[in-house]
Amino acid sequence: MTRFRMTVGWTTLLAVVALVVSLTGQPARGQAPGVVLYISGDTNIQEMFEKQLLPMYEKDTGMKTKMVFLEHGQGAAGILAKIIAAKRANTTTDVDLYETQPTFIAQGAQDSIWTKLTKDNLTNIAKVDLQRPEVLVSAGFGIPYRGSSVVLAYNTKFVKEPPKTYDQLLEWIKKNPGKFTYCDPQTCGSGAAMLYTAIYKFVKAEDYSQLAFDASKETAWEPALQLLRSLKPAIYNNGFYPNGNVAVLQLLGRENIWMAPVWSDQGVSQRDQGLIPKTIQFTQITPAFTGGDSAMAIPAHAEHQAAGLQFLNWLLTTKPQTVVVNTLAGYPGIQWKFMPKDVRDKFAGIAGNFSPLPNARYQADAKRLWQEKVAGSAQ
Amino acid sequence: MKSFGREGAAGILLVLPPLLLLALLILYPAAEAVLGTLRVERAGHVIYSLDRYRDMLQTVSLRRSVGFTLMVTVISAGATFLLAYPLALYLRFTRGWVSSALMALFIVPLFIPVVIASFAMVTFLENHGYVETLLHYVGIEGLPPLMFNAVGIVLTEVWASIPFATLVLLAGLQAIDDSLIDSARDVGAGPLRTFVSVILPLNTVATIISLSFLFIGILGSFTIPYLVGGNAPQMMSVVMTNYFTNYLRPEISVALAAISFVIAALAGAAYVMGVARRETA
Repeated sequence: MTRFRMTVGWTTLLAVVALVVSLTGQPARGQAPGVVLYISGDTNIQEMFEKQLLPMYEKDTGMKTKMVFLEHGQGAAGILAKIIAAKRANTTTDVDLYETQPTFIAQGAQDSIWTKLTKDNLTNIAKVDLQRPEVLVSAGFGIPYRGSSVVLAYNTKFVKEPPKTYDQLLEWIKKNPGKFTYCDPQTCGSGAAMLYTAIYKFVKAEDYSQLAFDASKETAWEPALQLLRSLKPAIYNNGFYPNGNVAVLQLLGRENIWMAPVWSDQGVSQRDQGLIPKTIQFTQITPAFTGGDSAMAIPAHAEHQAAGLQFLNWLLTTKPQTVVVNTLAGYPGIQWKFMPKDVRDKFAGIAGNFSPLPNARYQADAKRLWQEKVAGSAQ
Repeated sequence: MKSFGREGAAGILLVLPPLLLLALLILYPAAEAVLGTLRVERAGHVIYSLDRYRDMLQTVSLRRSVGFTLMVTVISAGATFLLAYPLALYLRFTRGWVSSALMALFIVPLFIPVVIASFAMVTFLENHGYVETLLHYVGIEGLPPLMFNAVGIVLTEVWASIPFATLVLLAGLQAIDDSLIDSARDVGAGPLRTFVSVILPLNTVATIISLSFLFIGILGSFTIPYLVGGNAPQMMSVVMTNYFTNYLRPEISVALAAISFVIAALAGAAYVMGVARRETA
């Protein structure tokens, strides 16, 4: 009932938005750009597309591109609703290619809104390991093109022996009050990793990373939330959780804090650019922080479906994948054996496992419960 | 008579489009949303009740958010008013280059986008920021945190609101006839007496307008609390956005919006009464 009402609500909202957009004058249909990409991620992803991948693609193929960027995945659920609405109304959607969390792709798969990707319409799919969790979670409709994980960053100037396990990390935080923080989980993945890994201390990750959702299973999270709440007095500034991954890196850079969970890719690139000192090192702990591949899917009702497929196929070739790996210091979407040898050698060290993310609805609830019970609780 | 009727009809025709737009795009969806927060399904029947509000206010973080929002709004509006009034008085009653320079200077925040102002405040006030560094050189240490808490929000809101409040108050003061003030002086009233007995009562309308606009503006502000506020408690505008986009609980956002609407309506009523008073005066 509520689900139906929500859908009606979204559809109405989108109809109004569509009306307003059409009234304010979009370019006429005939002169639309070659391919419209909806990409979500942090600013580093946006820069990689704007400055490297898109110009490279336009040069390689002569096709035009247009990117709509959803920062930190804000509004991702709305875009999904928009694609579903187009499918139900039997019209085309301007989303030719959608990069989002695999769980969102899985949600849409129930409404069969995605193009089935096979080696007939996407030759380079052969290079992708189809057993990767993201492909499985997205019911085969999402193809990974990059992956990254949250790791523990620490300043060697102050920390000689970094924690090796999550328990040691908790111990370190309590022993060094004010020298650790993680960002508000709803504003960034690195803080969310701190939350999910705390939850995984008490429950089995596989129970929550699959599609099935059962709100009653969330009661098992209570000890994890209590644990994080008990850390509050030892967190930087008496329990200050900054907004966004970058804010945490800034605190590390100014030596306000000595240790924090950060995205491997963002940390490495900020250190390369000199935004954080060279004394910052990265390590993975056990159980590992969460990480994930981002996946791309192509709506079945995309206005330029062929162009979307062409772009994705191009993205899975060696040249753009090398750009992805070098820029993000992360994992390629295609298997390592298809990458050039120098790239393989350079990143041989970081290829470890990361914990899977909970599904989108568990994520939303975990973030809400964190706000209600950890940050928002009276001491 | 006849011509009046035609003019009246023309007048109504002219206000009809904005009125319809208001009804269609604001009043109707708002009413529908508020009714939606009252609809509760129970044993297969849809009934109207305040259950959702009760549940919501039982969540500690949400209850604190409402109180926090009211506190920050009242303090910010009050502080802005107390700072803007002397400034407006000075600009009204003093001539000279200092006054002219101030006149140009105080309005500057009005032309700086709040996003930029908020980030400027962050670099200025944060831990190891300009203010703390400066105080460190003078030998003052151990200041309580000025950023990412209520203090940060209040300071930034005050900074951003002073030009508007001053402009409204100044307009009111300029409408006061000099002769009234001169005659008060003639009968021996000192500056304080003149202010309390003549200027303050004559400027009541501007006072009410500035206070109610300050209150509503700060209550509904999003950018400043989002950028300079802490994690908890958060102002209602930020909480609403979180529940709507991040926690996938739009019904809580709407219920919170209804609460803030009621609070804002009280300030709105004060404004309407203030304006009505001007009309009849």
